[in-house]
Amino acid sequence: MTDQWMDRLSEYLDGDLAPGERAALEAHLADCATCRTTLGEIRGVISRAHALVDQPLGRDLWPGIAALIGSAGTPVVDLAARRARKRVSFSMPQLAAAAVLLVAVTAGGTSLALRGSSPARPALGSGERPVAHAIPAGLPNKAEVSYDAAVNDLERALDAGRSRLSPKTIQVLEKNLARIDAAIGEARTALQADPANAYLNAHLANTMQQKLELLRQATQLAGAQS
Amino acid sequence: MQTPATGVPALSRDLSESRYAADAVEVTLAASGDAHAFERLYRRHVTRIHNLVRRMHGPDDSEEVTQDVFVRAWEKLGTFRGESAFSTWLHRLAINVILARREERGRRHARYSEDATLLDAAPARRAAPEEAMDIEGALARLPAGARQVFVLHDVEGYRHEEIADMLGLATGTSKSQLHRARMALRAWLD
Repeated sequence: MTDQWMDRLSEYLDGDLAPGERAALEAHLADCATCRTTLGEIRGVISRAHALVDQPLGRDLWPGIAALIGSAGTPVVDLAARRARKRVSFSMPQLAAAAVLLVAVTAGGTSLALRGSSPARPALGSGERPVAHAIPAGLPNKAEVSYDAAVNDLERALDAGRSRLSPKTIQVLEKNLARIDAAIGEARTALQADPANAYLNAHLANTMQQKLELLRQATQLAGAQS
Repeated sequence: MQTPATGVPALSRDLSESRYAADAVEVTLAASGDAHAFERLYRRHVTRIHNLVRRMHGPDDSEEVTQDVFVRAWEKLGTFRGESAFSTWLHRLAINVILARREERGRRHARYSEDATLLDAAPARRAAPEEAMDIEGALARLPAGARQVFVLHDVEGYRHEEIADMLGLATGTSKSQLHRARMALRAWLD
């Protein structure tokens, strides 16, 4: 046996009733044990729906997908194919922000851990490497400042932990950072001539990502040596 | 120094932002033709998407539909504007693929009246303990239309207005389908 309010219980729980209806239903609930019980059971259903846990897939679907998108055996399509594809409109500020965010989670903890150490040697690479300036000119100041701040923060953290790294490690690190900075500089120069080039944008994003990842790994390594 | 009260939400936010950032880089690479990057996106999101497919579409063909979702995503990456998270875009694309599958079966117009009949047959009281089932089993037993509304609202967190728009229903129909689904599930659950 149901009453007129039984069909309104979901709306009540979801906050979809008008104030007057809500008050009337609450008055009804005080007197109707059946509706109170049903309301509790519906709450239970909702709770269990919220608590559903994703189950792992039984098998890997990637081989079939790779075959369908034509990448099986050739993981990266050639340059002509890349350029023929419709361009994604992810802007460089978004990429920069994304790269910064990616590194910020780990960088924050590492730099905090390393802060307080006093570097006994000059700052890493100071005066030797090209100035890192991965964000192309003309981008919003906020994105540029955010990226530079993240890089600087990591570099400071790394400088603070420099004394814990071996000279050979520092040498390799500086060499690779110099290469990456050179690649970033070249990509930025090329993009000034062809700002919408999807390949160059992807290449720059990838190179920026490499720099951040290298710095992150190095700071972690320095932290692990303490 | 962070207090425990703010530390957990902050960590959760950072992890979410980290995933967003990782996706952003991979999407850019994949859109330029890098299948390695797309494979990484696939591995990051396939469990989530497959579970959405399994619950909305039902277990039959769920792997095939999941595969279709990723093939469609590859084809449409160029239309992704980065205005929302990639996971949100992919989720919405998956829902469209699932609904298109149902369209292909040509049962859309009959579905909701069929649902009403099946849901009306659900017992008014809870099942006996020996007949009860877990929520995944009970979900699979729901008629397609009611299952889709329930999954979109109570599992995925969409609002009725969004669901009505996706499914081509009136908002009131979405609400009544949800209530019927909840009432049926409450009777079937252990």
